[in-house]
Amino acid sequence: MFSLLYGFWEYIFRKEELRVLMLGLDKAGKTNLLERLKTLYTDTPGLESDKVLPTVGLNVGRLDVNKAELLLWDLGGQPGLRSIWDKYYADSHGVIFVVDCTTPARLDEAKHALDGALGSRELFGAPLLVMANKQDVEGHVPASEITQSLGLGIIDGRPCRVQPISAHNGNGIREAMRWLVDEIGASDRKLMLRNRAGAQ
Amino acid sequence: MGLWLSRLVGLFGEKEARILVLGLDNAGKTTILYRLQVGEVVSTIPTIGFNVETVTYKNIKFQVWDLGGQTSIRPYWRCYYPNTQAIIYVVDSSDTERISVSAGEFHAILDEDELKDALILVYANKQDLPGALDDASVAEGLGLPKIKSRDWAIFKTSAIKGEGLFEGLDWLSSMLKTRRR
Repeated sequence: MFSLLYGFWEYIFRKEELRVLMLGLDKAGKTNLLERLKTLYTDTPGLESDKVLPTVGLNVGRLDVNKAELLLWDLGGQPGLRSIWDKYYADSHGVIFVVDCTTPARLDEAKHALDGALGSRELFGAPLLVMANKQDVEGHVPASEITQSLGLGIIDGRPCRVQPISAHNGNGIREAMRWLVDEIGASDRKLMLRNRAGAQ
Repeated sequence: MGLWLSRLVGLFGEKEARILVLGLDNAGKTTILYRLQVGEVVSTIPTIGFNVETVTYKNIKFQVWDLGGQTSIRPYWRCYYPNTQAIIYVVDSSDTERISVSAGEFHAILDEDELKDALILVYANKQDLPGALDDASVAEGLGLPKIKSRDWAIFKTSAIKGEGLFEGLDWLSSMLKTRRR
């Protein structure tokens, strides 16, 4: 009897883990952003940027952002390994796409990678947060140009935001994460994923 | 006092890590072990039992256990699981027929409670052979993307040519250092 009540209690009050996929080209700064997020939201500081190696697989991060539990999946962005990205789509509540604003020559490639991800049915309705990274570096492209280059003005119904940030000094990250958590909380996709988990 | 001393030693001295090298028979585990330890290709025979060597790299003393991979002795792998910080899982990338068998063994390892905190490093080995699968294909063949709650990394390696092995150790040492702070 107790276990029944306890199970019921757990069911009602348990926090749902929100899974966020971090994508972007190699050297966009995904792992640096993940490490900065660890520093901002957890007790254990993340790695300094000079210690971060290119990711050839998966880095996992767990954080509490505005009372939501986030599980972050930072996947390697090198061309060969991008084929793994789609294996994580179906379970993701939301997507963070990281763009290096100091390499305008690679914006086409970034658009291509982003379009590939957003075109997947498995990411249907997932809120998209574009982190226009490296704002601390001289000569970066403004966020408005990122919006234009990535063609984000004409995006399919999903919530979308472009946020200028610096993973190096942390500027802009907190408000962007708050937006993402709120949008995921309000999204139909969260209900969809919950129902699917319940059905299994 | 003792604690302080040992911390002080930890700051300047070498850290130790226990690593298991696992994978099917003929994946190249023993060749990798000795390539890492003596920097040469040694001729090996199928391992019945284990080889253990210490490899010091980037201020970390890796105690590397190479366990025999034949079907009949794979059940004994689990005797070595306690206190393991990392698994190096070796795949013969040219053995496309047995990649699903390898995947089965790999996921059984991942499910082990005693290894739930172990780092997962995969060597897509034998890249020097024609027809070897690349890293993305080995990752898919092994079902690496089914891992959702722990860090993993994959490197293309050739134990014969000595390629990729130390890149993998770089990853291991950087991960081990962050975990111990």
